[in-house]
Amino acid sequence: MPMKIENGPFWKRVEENLQNDFMRGAVAGMQDRGYVRRLGVIEELGHWEEWRSLAEQIRKHTLEHLDYYLMQLSENVTKRGGHVFFAQTAEEANDYIRRITLEKQAKKIVKSKSMVTEEINLNPVLEAIGCDVVETDLGEYILQIDDHDPPSHIVGPALHKNKEQIRDVFRRKLGYDKSSDPVELARHARETLRRDYLTADIGITGCNFAIAESGSITLVTNEGNADLVTALPKTQITVMGMERIVPTFEEMEVLVSMLTRSAVGQKLTSYITVLTGPRDEGDADGPEEFHLVIVDNGRSSILGTEFQPVLQCIRCAACVNVCPVYRHIGGHSYGSIYSGPIGAVLSPLLGGYDDYKELPYASSLCAACTEACPVKIPLHELLIKHRQIIVEREGKAPVAEKLAMKAFRLGTASPSLYRFGTKFAPSAFAPFVEDGRITKGPGPLKAWTESREFPAPNKERFRDWFLDRQKGGKPS
Amino acid sequence: MKVSLFVTCLIDLFYTNAGKATVELLERLGCEIDFPEAQTCCGQPAYNSGYVKEAKEAMKQMMRAFADTDYVVTPSGSCAAMLKEYPHIFHGDPEWEDEAKRLAAKTYELTQFLVDVLKVEDVGASLHGRATYHTSCHMTRLLGVKEAPLRLLKHVKGLELAPLPNAHQCCGFGGTFSVKMGPISEQMVDEKISHIEEVEADYLIGADCGCLMNIGGRIERLGKPIRVMHIAEVLNQRNEKRGE
Amino acid sequence: MTRGTIQNRDAFLQTIAERLGRAPRLSGVSRPQWDYAPQWTVFAGYSQDDLLSALREQCKLIHTDYIETTSTELAGVLKRQVAAYGGGPVIVPNDPRFAEYGLSPLLQDEWPVEQTAVHTWNPALGRKNIDAAEQANVGIVFSDITLAESGTVVLFSRNGQGRAIHFLPKTYIAIVPKSTVVPRMTQAAALIHEQIEQGALVPSCINFITGPSNSADIEMNLVVGVHGPMKAAYIIVTDR
Repeated sequence: MPMKIENGPFWKRVEENLQNDFMRGAVAGMQDRGYVRRLGVIEELGHWEEWRSLAEQIRKHTLEHLDYYLMQLSENVTKRGGHVFFAQTAEEANDYIRRITLEKQAKKIVKSKSMVTEEINLNPVLEAIGCDVVETDLGEYILQIDDHDPPSHIVGPALHKNKEQIRDVFRRKLGYDKSSDPVELARHARETLRRDYLTADIGITGCNFAIAESGSITLVTNEGNADLVTALPKTQITVMGMERIVPTFEEMEVLVSMLTRSAVGQKLTSYITVLTGPRDEGDADGPEEFHLVIVDNGRSSILGTEFQPVLQCIRCAACVNVCPVYRHIGGHSYGSIYSGPIGAVLSPLLGGYDDYKELPYASSLCAACTEACPVKIPLHELLIKHRQIIVEREGKAPVAEKLAMKAFRLGTASPSLYRFGTKFAPSAFAPFVEDGRITKGPGPLKAWTESREFPAPNKERFRDWFLDRQKGGKPS
Repeated sequence: MKVSLFVTCLIDLFYTNAGKATVELLERLGCEIDFPEAQTCCGQPAYNSGYVKEAKEAMKQMMRAFADTDYVVTPSGSCAAMLKEYPHIFHGDPEWEDEAKRLAAKTYELTQFLVDVLKVEDVGASLHGRATYHTSCHMTRLLGVKEAPLRLLKHVKGLELAPLPNAHQCCGFGGTFSVKMGPISEQMVDEKISHIEEVEADYLIGADCGCLMNIGGRIERLGKPIRVMHIAEVLNQRNEKRGE
Repeated sequence: MTRGTIQNRDAFLQTIAERLGRAPRLSGVSRPQWDYAPQWTVFAGYSQDDLLSALREQCKLIHTDYIETTSTELAGVLKRQVAAYGGGPVIVPNDPRFAEYGLSPLLQDEWPVEQTAVHTWNPALGRKNIDAAEQANVGIVFSDITLAESGTVVLFSRNGQGRAIHFLPKTYIAIVPKSTVVPRMTQAAALIHEQIEQGALVPSCINFITGPSNSADIEMNLVVGVHGPMKAAYIIVTDR
């Protein structure tokens, strides 16, 4: 599916998802367990702030010299006999991959998890030419066979599904006849997918980190699926977002450490695999042909803007895992395959403000995301930047709000206006005050008083009290 | 020691007791309080909503009002954090960048001021009861003040302080977020209140009136028997069995 | 090796340079001296014994059996472990270390005699190697480098050591000479980087394997044994 997971208003999605008790319990449980585990591995590692600063420096340097490192990468891939296709747009990437698939007369394709292939909406393009495209990451597999249910989390995409739902999907689609025990479900997926690995013509992967100095790609999994996807089929196609690159093995290991700890609280995942080109001469497994597709799809338009730091992202979802808003509304509410704080910053940049204008406002700016980000992306500040753009350039702010903010400017820029305005606040609010509080507020207060009491403005402002006190000879 | 008080718009209008308590407390600790009347608002409401031009006008007024001061102390973690952002916001502005740096350098949140500048942790307060402390997001994450409030509360005679579960989670205020995204904010504040109830606290203490207005407003609507107090009020309590 | 093809690079990189507000920079860039190097502080000053202790502890956390032995006892221990894991068929790479560590009699005589099939990876047999790996109950390899902090074995692919050995069999046993143990990936990465700087070509596949396969994709419950092996064991040879 493409980046946008559904049409329809933000609020409709949010209201529906707020009713989804299972999803909210699953997300809260994941966040709570993850919080403790993440803090544990960070403490065990030590010097975490230095690690973050190092990771940030590596990402910033790489982005500032992105053309150089992509040049070096492509040279080294081709020296090893691999092919490199630079795709400015999603269409170009899909066209190239379709051409290879047709050339190979491929009928079955196995895929490991790749957000960028979802973003460019690759699968339908290959299915349209008669290919059976099988997602092998367990979470993606579950969603795929459930009629392409969209992912709700960038690392654990099936977080919103409970085991009974998974059992039912397996029963309906795979002839499964056992229980909802996760071990049995996983074993069934293992057996079914085993056959697919062994008969696939092409393996398609994403890329956690490309390594420029050797023309390598790094794949990080716990399941081992990416390894089977790349060891067995004759052709391998790796699709990477153009910014997912490091200079050398030494930076790769730093960022992998940050990724595994931040994403899943592990020192390392079970399988970290560095692949370079097609198989070596004389090997009996590994692909005979290797293609690397490097995708822009709007990323270059982020370079050179105040949003450039968002390209530092290593897709760990640490921000998602600490977000108190995501906790309640879940991933589907964002309407994008990229959800949570990173999704709220990235989706408007890649997909435009029309579809995603609410996302930058779906945040209390608590900065938990900024604090958690292993590469120090100032996420909450970028959300404010989006709001500024929406207000100033896009002109999409509500009229009433614009007027209120104009009044704010007048009131706070002039002390006398401020004193005047606040002096009369009590009388302006008086009709709504009962028992020292406001229960049914007017205008903007209405939204507040839907669920909360609002305090009545004091007749005696603090400044009145203070200044009276001063006059009254109170020692000051 | 001369301390200039930045009282904040919320306290000026709605939570005057927190302002009064701040003054009385600081005076008792030997400070001479002055209140620059030209102060208005730190600019957060506009800035965080993306109205940067409008916010900057408020910020300039703040810089004017506090130009001639030594220490600027405010009983609001988020407002202090906002003031600390001024140098970043006015970066490159030939007229205001230096002023912004000057103001940011002398701005303190109240508990930060007590512990780091006055070097005081026992202010001689007493309040009998079971309480829990709400760690406001901007104060902890943006301003970096985590320990000071707890150190001060530890010395309040008779106060039983229980740690708040999931303290790191936002209460759902976020300024205009609380009204723009009301239904989401409501879920967040309800979860916050459930954690306060989990530790059976009689008092909820905080250092940010925005948070307290949010949590307190919901507590009142739900009719929960939890008393919400600003930390200045708690620290200013003397020889009382129950807060007033 | 015939060079691969490159398409659309010039315009692509030109766009990037334009967005960064400068001319394309396609050569002459080197890494700065990074401001921090915390990765080198992990297990700094640890002896090999200290590293083994760390490895032993880590194995408990990653569902991996940890067995210590000596080179003379290795064959016996290996035979016992494989039996404990359900016996053959067994698949091994074509690796001189098996002979060096006295395992030839086991592979060539003892196991075949008791009907435990042993397949040695042989590129000339092409796809049959993969079939053998798929049917194998146990895959056995020698670790090239071992990372103490995470409990990871590092394997470089060779003609005689296919990738499928690490993934298709149900059980995975890595023989770990004590001398291969280093603190963490930092040391392995530095070694590989050094070799690249000196003009070496990395093998087409380098695996960093930590225990058996697993997933937490179903209700965040950790399930061990998904697509890769369901069981893993490290046999440490303490005198090598």
